[in-house]
Amino acid sequence: MLEADRHENIEILSYSEVISVEGYIGNFRVKVKRKSRFVNEDKCTGCGSCTEVCPIYIPNYFDENLSARKCIDIAFAQAVPAISDIERNSCIECFACVDACDTEAIDFSQQDKIVELEVGTIIVATGWDLYQGDDYGYGIYENVITQIQLERIIAPNGPTLGHLIRPSDRKRPTRILFINCVGSRDLKTNEYCSVVCCNLSVKNSKLIMSEYPDSEIVVSYIDMRCAGKMYEEYYRRARDAGIIFIKGLIGKIEEDPLTKNLKVQFEPVGTDSIVEMEFHMVVLSSASLPSLGTKEIASVMNIEKTPDGFLKEAHARLDPINTKVPGIYLAGSCQGQKSIDLTVSQAKGAASSANIPMKNEKYTMELIRAQPLDERCAKCYKCIDACPYSAISVNENGLIQVDIISCRGCGICESLCPSKAIELAHYKDNQYVAYIDELLQIEE
Amino acid sequence: MAGTIRAQYPTSLRTVLVPCTGRVGSDLVMRAFGRGADGVIIVG
Repeated sequence: MLEADRHENIEILSYSEVISVEGYIGNFRVKVKRKSRFVNEDKCTGCGSCTEVCPIYIPNYFDENLSARKCIDIAFAQAVPAISDIERNSCIECFACVDACDTEAIDFSQQDKIVELEVGTIIVATGWDLYQGDDYGYGIYENVITQIQLERIIAPNGPTLGHLIRPSDRKRPTRILFINCVGSRDLKTNEYCSVVCCNLSVKNSKLIMSEYPDSEIVVSYIDMRCAGKMYEEYYRRARDAGIIFIKGLIGKIEEDPLTKNLKVQFEPVGTDSIVEMEFHMVVLSSASLPSLGTKEIASVMNIEKTPDGFLKEAHARLDPINTKVPGIYLAGSCQGQKSIDLTVSQAKGAASSANIPMKNEKYTMELIRAQPLDERCAKCYKCIDACPYSAISVNENGLIQVDIISCRGCGICESLCPSKAIELAHYKDNQYVAYIDELLQIEE
Repeated sequence: MAGTIRAQYPTSLRTVLVPCTGRVGSDLVMRAFGRGADGVIIVG
């Protein structure tokens, strides 16, 4: 990240939002809203003296709200660029930070700025968000946490400095249950498999086991999906380490009001008995969702989504990096949940794909494009709303015009036009009529 | 699709290639019926 920031050809616009994309491959015009941090990016050195004097504590988003941060703070320790921002909703405007800042970087009058960029190609890498339903008492029982919260707890720079403790009494949990497929592979929530959670359970349970060998760890699963290079071996080593894997869905979880332990009932597959066990902590492998704002980014860029809400590639098997819009490419979990190695592969592929037309300075396209026939047009403008690629617009005479670079030659406009005033080159109505007539004539 | 899965289909079937199923309007479907087709399948 730091290396990318230092590169002379890379400019990072953090804390920003893409609000409009116009144009076509080689000539995209992008408007980016740079949200105000209330701190001047050019002046702030990230020294942290403002954080020291700030009296307000707010939940730390980066630590999954398990710890607190100051109202003015750097988002997280490794943030690039390391610039403070102010959470204005919680700020009491005591202006102690203004006095503490040596470089006079803090500016409470700062407004959101719109930056216009001209770019040749675009790579979308908007990532994913965590499913946070109230399954298995999450959000109700203190000691039911998600895998991501556990990740922060056992991280050396996390809220507990890497010490494994449970939220209710800050003691080490010795009996831990991992529940896989929470909010995924379920027709009521998300039908898809989140891919990475099986390995995440194996990794975290193994880490805890190697640190505290007296732990008792149970992982309950529907199917263990540890496919991929060296993952099966990793799963076997976890079983050898004494972690218990049980196939079966959890039926019921209840919290003991005194000890805050969790009483769990489940029926292991292949037995006809209901098992009741008590755990100190329950960790949910929650589903991954398309990140917040994926819908907006899809409509801004005119790219499609699959029914699960992730962004759609040009072809699920043969073209998983390109989108249907030339010049826009996908990388990572915005296209569908995937492991780190696949994300890196796709990102490198996307970078190369984007570089090819830029280096060639040429783009070849097909000539199957819609052509308006002005004399017939009744100006109902139905085609403008119907066009999925926003390629049709109205010119100064009130007649329609087609942007032949945005047009993808689908022909929806032609089949829809009541007065046949727009036609698709090489796929005209009279060609089809002749085609059908000829085909059906033979049969008679 | 029928070709890639090596499916057999009746010889009375006539295929018309379209760039996109959106290209198929009611006029083309009615034309086929008008010329004596028993049915029209639009496959995407």
